[in-house]
Amino acid sequence: MKTLNEIEVTKKSEFKSTDTKMEFVNIFFAGKRYRVLKGLTILKALEFAGYRLVRGVGCRGGFCGACATVYRTDGDYRIKVGLACQTMIENNMYLAQLPFYPAIKAFYTVDEIKPSGDLFLRYYPEIMKCLQCNTCRKVCPQDLDVMRYIAAAQRGDVSRVADLSFDCLQCGLCASRCPAEIVHYHVAQLGRRSYSRFMQKPSTHLSKRIEEINSGKFNNEIESLIKLDRKELEIIYSQRDIEPEEEIAPKKDED
Amino acid sequence: MKLLYYPGCTLHTVAVQFDQSTKEICKQLDIELIEISDFTCCGGLYPQTTENLMQLQAPARILVQAQRTDPNLELMTLCTFCYNTLKRTHYTLKKDEQKRNILNDYLEEPYNAKVKIVHLIEVFRDDIGYDTIRKKSKRSLLKGFRVAPYYGCLLLRPMNEIELDDQEQPSILEDLLYAIGCDVIEFPYRFDCCGSFHVVNKPEIAEQCSKELLRYTEQFHANCLVTCCPLCYYNISRFGGTDFNFQIFYITQLVGLALGIEPIKLGLDPEIINKFISDSYLV
Amino acid sequence: MSYPELMIESIARVEETRSSRLKQIMPRITLEEKQILLENFHPDYKSESFRKLKIGPNRGDKVPHELADLLEARSRIEPKDFDLSRVDYETEVLVIGGGGAGTAAALTAQEQGIDVIIATKLRWGDSNTIMAQGGIQAADKENDSPVRHYIDLVGGGGFVNIPELARALVFDAPMIIRWLESLGVMFDKEPDGTMKTVHGGGTSRKRMHSCRDYTGMEIMRVLRDEARNRGIHVLDFSPAVEILLDESGKCAGAILYDLETEEYFIVKAKATIIATGGMGRLHVQGFPTTNHYGATADGLVLAYRVGAKLIFMDTVQYHPTGVAYPEQILGQLVTEKVRGMGAQLVNNEGFQFINELETRDIVSAAIIRECTDRNLGVVTPTGMVGVWLDTPMIDIKHGSGTTQRTLPAMVRQYMRYQIDITKQPILVYPTQHYQNGGILIDENAQCSIPGLFIAGEASGGVHGRNRLMGNSLLDILVFGRRAGKNAALYASTTKVNSLTLKHLEKFHQELIESGVGLERVSPMLLPDYSSHLSKIRRKGGVIIA
Repeated sequence: MKTLNEIEVTKKSEFKSTDTKMEFVNIFFAGKRYRVLKGLTILKALEFAGYRLVRGVGCRGGFCGACATVYRTDGDYRIKVGLACQTMIENNMYLAQLPFYPAIKAFYTVDEIKPSGDLFLRYYPEIMKCLQCNTCRKVCPQDLDVMRYIAAAQRGDVSRVADLSFDCLQCGLCASRCPAEIVHYHVAQLGRRSYSRFMQKPSTHLSKRIEEINSGKFNNEIESLIKLDRKELEIIYSQRDIEPEEEIAPKKDED
Repeated sequence: MKLLYYPGCTLHTVAVQFDQSTKEICKQLDIELIEISDFTCCGGLYPQTTENLMQLQAPARILVQAQRTDPNLELMTLCTFCYNTLKRTHYTLKKDEQKRNILNDYLEEPYNAKVKIVHLIEVFRDDIGYDTIRKKSKRSLLKGFRVAPYYGCLLLRPMNEIELDDQEQPSILEDLLYAIGCDVIEFPYRFDCCGSFHVVNKPEIAEQCSKELLRYTEQFHANCLVTCCPLCYYNISRFGGTDFNFQIFYITQLVGLALGIEPIKLGLDPEIINKFISDSYLV
Repeated sequence: MSYPELMIESIARVEETRSSRLKQIMPRITLEEKQILLENFHPDYKSESFRKLKIGPNRGDKVPHELADLLEARSRIEPKDFDLSRVDYETEVLVIGGGGAGTAAALTAQEQGIDVIIATKLRWGDSNTIMAQGGIQAADKENDSPVRHYIDLVGGGGFVNIPELARALVFDAPMIIRWLESLGVMFDKEPDGTMKTVHGGGTSRKRMHSCRDYTGMEIMRVLRDEARNRGIHVLDFSPAVEILLDESGKCAGAILYDLETEEYFIVKAKATIIATGGMGRLHVQGFPTTNHYGATADGLVLAYRVGAKLIFMDTVQYHPTGVAYPEQILGQLVTEKVRGMGAQLVNNEGFQFINELETRDIVSAAIIRECTDRNLGVVTPTGMVGVWLDTPMIDIKHGSGTTQRTLPAMVRQYMRYQIDITKQPILVYPTQHYQNGGILIDENAQCSIPGLFIAGEASGGVHGRNRLMGNSLLDILVFGRRAGKNAALYASTTKVNSLTLKHLEKFHQELIESGVGLERVSPMLLPDYSSHLSKIRRKGGVIIA
């Protein structure tokens, strides 16, 4: 017997697919069963089920980390995690969202976070409690090597922390599972800011240009452009020279 | 020769001079060090409870990393804590297959229990040889240097697991110090505790231990103490302060001086060293 | 998942032409050709998709139906019954919106030594800012100049950009990059500190600065961390639903609605900054969108009701390269950097049809032409149509590993669907991306209402009728900073009289008199993506077949 959902979806043909038959699966959201279309992401499945989410939804593109979700799949004892907007549902998936997790953050001004061996220990001494269980890495939806950037933080290796943690979305799943109660993503944030502020060299061409602008070097040219009418601007625009892409001889791939 | 090198956390943070002097002397002795990448902390201490396998994860993972980096090379480490923890972990996992299997379930890559862990002083004794070191050393430089060799608690014990030297009558530090030309003191307090991790929660205990140790050092007219342990080094230099006229060295720093390496490259202040050397002639 | 068979056949044709295409650059098209292409294929030229507004400051101007429905709608509160005597928060500057523009504004206002509150609809930082992958423009290289940047900007914008705003954008740009650098934003740099820069669509110099392919997220993370360090007060999950005026007609704060407790809060402020972003989630003309969940044009609605004028609302930017396959990520952005690094656009037959570095409107129109008129698009199993973006060219041109190193987010996203973008091309189709216009502002980021400042995508004028890549991360920071500074200066010299919602009463009156009526309610706050059936159930009318 068809359920109401199936009749309705087929009738309204909300999905354009014509040659594939509508298939449905069960998901359990916070323990409650919903029957939803197969092939959706967790986020779209929840919406299909009728949810209008306020928390647990954000950019819908895998960038903001608002839709962190924990789940178990049928017949597997392991806890799995993912972003709801990026993870596909499976039949009999058990899931709950974790849109927020309490975390502490150290307060500092950017000038006082010069790289040093004890930079991280000063603000986050709890990183020394790391048990190296590697759970943080296993839950990271970005597949970052979280444990190793914490190890780098213990060693005071600021540039390594910055590099290994760069793709972090700050979703907080690592912190939610850490037996040592570390808030990894704030440690990483401190590392990246310290690295960028003090270990990357400032751009000299930037300072030069700012001086030029402040000295009024470009004022006359801009003012005269502003006075031009559209036709004159069009000519200047279409005649402007365009910096070429580097001429790169096509390289053979190594493999 | 080539060695995999595991510096542990402290050698890149508080004990940088230990790391620095090691790299210098290895350069002189043609030992190529390959630092294993992105290593984690060893856990700091071998767990004292017999069944707590989980705490072996950290050191076991470092051993796995060594086996992955190059299964044919020995893994050299310096910090006494790292050395002790890695060796004991290896010992446990090698001896007890059941424990190894359980732990391997939690590791991303299983440990084959084949990595050989060595301390640099072990490399000096067994691979380089004291004769070579003696020949390469400017032995006159450290003559009159009255050195108290200080083993601390963990370098040798438990003997059956560490297998570095006799835990009651060791000579590995002494032999090395003789080889580089020091005046070595027979130091009965060489295993006494510096107060260790008490320094975190109850610094007064560490202070008491360290000061006691230094008083003995003074009684034996030693003008320096030599160690392999960053924590001993930390406690003793923290609590030694200005009360005692002595210097604490990492073993690698003294070896470095003997090999004629400039003090600054060993993380030593040249002025203090010059004064110290001339002082020691006066004793 | 990977690709179905029909698409694999098409990919074979793309691979066949690849080596010859590597040496081939499509010539750019002339201004006349561009005009013809736009008129025939760009969605902005589909007149039936627009209507003239019946009320408000822009009466008679045409805007997309989806926006008109919100502008011509009543407030969710009843102004006559609303008690304004109970003020919940009093501050000097209220910033509405917690994305890049709002946070930059708050930081700058606070630097002037005044009190700031940020009110944001979702989590602080959840915004289009974090989704901006490609980069931020600034003319700071030796071979470049703000003048060149200006010419590219107005040329891309159709020569109608407001000159004073355009000047502010290009002149402030290097200073903004320096500000970010000093806060610890991790730009892609050479070891000597030189910024690594690339081209974007419509640029004549390589002036796109980036932070791998998470440029916007990196900027947002740092700004938010900085604001947290400085203890700026944030009210999250609290969108503004109405702007308050005082008796003298000055802006005096806003009414917030707590989405979780469903309470209204009154914030009295001497100056208010709207930084609510754009309108992607209105799905103009049914297009998918790259935008954040909260991009529902709330700021436009609020400002319009207090009498602020909108500009260029008849033009919407479609990003030429939205995902067309797989279905699960339909409409999401494929950053322009992919084209900047040399991936070409190719049709079903394996041929190029447009220079991939033309401006976004031109490339979008060209893709639509390929998929409709010329019938050379690639059809997916769900009936979507698109053209190929030949991503494997990047590694071939720049060396193996380049894609993984410079576009890790994208590689990761496609790998979830077993598509390796370093080996296979990806299917794209235009997606609604940016609101080119917005609330009209002056150089000080102020709109026509005293005390009301606008920053970021909610504002209009600087980009003319079409924004170039990398100018919006710049825009939010330039005008975020300007709004913050000027709002603070304004707040320090002004006094707020008693609060009023009379403007709202008048607006409702106009709705009735114009015949629009009071049925529709806005702002939208959040889009509703629940299934058709859920919507019926919510209303209580279940239909059974």
